[in-house]
Amino acid sequence: MKLTFGDDVEAFRQEFLAWLADNRPTAEEMAADPAVSSAHVPEWASRWTRRLFDAGWLVPGWPPERGGRNAGPVEVLVYLEALSRAGVPRTTNPQGLGIVAPSILDYGTDAQIKDYALAVLHGEKAACLGMSEPGAGSDLASLSTRAVLDGDQFVINGQKVWTSGANYADFCFLFCRTDPDAPKHKGISVILVDMNTPGITVRPLAEIVKPEHPDLNEVFFSDVVVPRENLVGKMNDGWAMANGSLAHERGMVWLNFVMHMEQDVASLLAQAPAALARMEAPERAVVADGLVESIIDATAARCLGYRGFAKLVRGGSAPEQALMKAFCSEAQRRITLRSAEMSADHTVDIGVTPASDPTWIERYFTSYGGTISAGSSEIQRNIIAEKVLGLPR
Amino acid sequence: MDLELSEEESELRDNVRAVLAGVCPPAVVRAVYEGKGDAAPVWARMVELYWPALAIAEDHGGLGLGFVEVALVAEELGRAVVPSPFLATVTQFAPVVRELDAANGLLDRVAAGEVTGTVALAERGSWELSAVTATAEESAEGWVLQGTKSAVLDGAEADEVLVVARGAEGLGVFVVPRPALAITPRTVVDPTSPLADVVLDGVVVPPDRVLAAPGTTGVAEALERAGQEATVALAAATVGACRVIFEQTVEYAKVREQYGRPIGSFQALKHRMADMYLAVERAQSLCYFAALTIAEDDPRRAEAASMAKAAAGECQRLVVQDGLQLHGGIGMTWEHDLHFLLKRAIAGDALYGNAVHHRSRLAQMLGLVA
Ligand SMILES: Cc1cc2nc3c(=O)[nH]c(=O)nc-3n(C[C@H](O)[C@H](O)[C@H](O)COP(=O)(O)OP(=O)(O)OC[C@H]3O[C@@H](n4cnc5c(N)ncnc54)[C@H](O)[C@@H]3O)c2cc1C
Repeated sequence: MKLTFGDDVEAFRQEFLAWLADNRPTAEEMAADPAVSSAHVPEWASRWTRRLFDAGWLVPGWPPERGGRNAGPVEVLVYLEALSRAGVPRTTNPQGLGIVAPSILDYGTDAQIKDYALAVLHGEKAACLGMSEPGAGSDLASLSTRAVLDGDQFVINGQKVWTSGANYADFCFLFCRTDPDAPKHKGISVILVDMNTPGITVRPLAEIVKPEHPDLNEVFFSDVVVPRENLVGKMNDGWAMANGSLAHERGMVWLNFVMHMEQDVASLLAQAPAALARMEAPERAVVADGLVESIIDATAARCLGYRGFAKLVRGGSAPEQALMKAFCSEAQRRITLRSAEMSADHTVDIGVTPASDPTWIERYFTSYGGTISAGSSEIQRNIIAEKVLGLPR
Repeated sequence: MDLELSEEESELRDNVRAVLAGVCPPAVVRAVYEGKGDAAPVWARMVELYWPALAIAEDHGGLGLGFVEVALVAEELGRAVVPSPFLATVTQFAPVVRELDAANGLLDRVAAGEVTGTVALAERGSWELSAVTATAEESAEGWVLQGTKSAVLDGAEADEVLVVARGAEGLGVFVVPRPALAITPRTVVDPTSPLADVVLDGVVVPPDRVLAAPGTTGVAEALERAGQEATVALAAATVGACRVIFEQTVEYAKVREQYGRPIGSFQALKHRMADMYLAVERAQSLCYFAALTIAEDDPRRAEAASMAKAAAGECQRLVVQDGLQLHGGIGMTWEHDLHFLLKRAIAGDALYGNAVHHRSRLAQMLGLVA
């Protein structure tokens, strides 16, 4: 064990930082045209994505033939940290980059790789992920959107929901039922669907905090016709892909949480002296203790993440992502509540912070995205219990 | 930052675990609990294997390793509920000697396994230096100590007791042979962590046994630094005990059947075990981090030590509660070995400041409270 990284990792960091300084989008550029949804790729982001990709920095952990530089996990971590500290987003289409493109690279045909995966990696197209349905949330395999093969075409009918960025996406990585008679995990396929195919209706769902910038959508499919060659991988083999593709990048999700937690904690600490000074001693002690808990949580999250990482680097089994996801997302949620504790009389106000700075209530509600999406905290606990601890089903 | 054990570190841990399994099985712990047993062979074996010498510098006859190795041993001692002078001697006594006056020969004797030691610091249940009211006054024969020390680990067994007392010019540290002190062993929840109260009723310490006279510069800082080692070692030992409670609970839940199925298949219990797991991993990660900050003398060491101790204490509460609850009635019996671990975990939280105390220390360090 040691507190520092090796020289080679530091050299890697310096190399990236130097490149970043010369190539990054400016803060003004980003602020002038912000990404408003998870598949919205503003013009600067499109150029930035392409620049990253061409230099081998978009996906440094991948092999060079996929646009990477075979960087090891620790290097990838250092790279993501550097981007986050610099305030530059790696992508404005996280599902496209993190899940859709790698899945197509793993399972897709050459044409699909060129037209969809590379298009995402070049910042030319944005993808959305069509998994959840009104009747299939946590129990994803019970999805019922049907795709019927009719000659050379699929005809798709059904509905998706919570589809992040569907209102901006160019195409959807759609999970459909292609064999209604097979056991539920066995009859699912993945199909690439261009979002302007006739028969698709996207209805943005105004959200609890940002009704003016909806990210979640309902997507309706009514006799949507898609060429057979848009099937990704083998027919009825979509479930394997759901598992495989969701594992892509999950390894790094914790780092995002940790960086957010650390930023939130830093901002809480900055506000704390003034807020605490207004309180009577007994109240001050309780609020201070809440802050302390959050600082310990943020430190623990980083340490846990690094530990999982170190295991991975040593060739051990994949670190326990379910643990990191449940812990980080819940700790993040607790942290957002601390600002409410610090300004009890402002808790009912909205907009007491500068417009650029989300209010505590915005951050609080948004934090539920972490504990609900991509497998809720309860589902993560089931996974820990069954897959990590080996408890019976 | 690399927070997993290196090959050498895991080898050490595995060796320590294997040795302890051989020399200190639950039967030995039970014998100590029931006042029938003698744990002397356990310590004798540790001395044979140079464990007391691990982190002592080579010029004092030590192995010259660092605090990470000590923390790994401490964790294993917690896992096996080992009764031994290791924590008091190696993580409390030796660090104070090293920080203040490594040249007086005591370290060499610890490394050789010739003496055991402890630190009499706490008063009225507080390990804070500011709580020290015991006095040291210079006289013709030496320093005269007056006061009462509480909760001295191995206070009734250690060969040498380091006493922290306050003189007119500040804190001083004195090496007192145990027979010179009025010692009252306490009846404690965990007999493998024996505590004693020590009364200093005009004990005279000759000049050659003054480790640091009141007024010596850096005494408080040295005691703080040494205290961080004691704190993190106790945190590690507590995590060790907690991890076994957690592991045993999971194993029990897999085999114990009710309503025709293993109780571990009930989701309400699964989620509680997932939370126990998180608590253990969280505390363990912070312990590793804190151990590293001490080993590398990183400026974050004070904060990291308090975080580790707070997390270990919080972990203890959850794991003791759910570990006992999930065992059902069997967990409440003296015959079942679980209670050794539960009590060790509780004692580990209480010593050198519990979770509440270390959270309040953190609040102070961060300037949140005065
Ligand atoms: C911000 C956000 C973005 C999202 N983006 C996308 C996207 O881009 N594409 C997409 O396909 N989906 C997306 N989702 C959907 C997300 O994957 C689902 O919301 C999630 O899987 C939970 O499903 P659900 O909402 O139907 O809740 P349900 O599954 O109905 O769960 C309701 C409650 O029951 C609990 N529960 C359910 N089953 C169990 C069980 N077995 N054991 C214990 N508790 C259980 C849950 O934990 C939850 O508390 C997004 C969701 C959010 C919040």
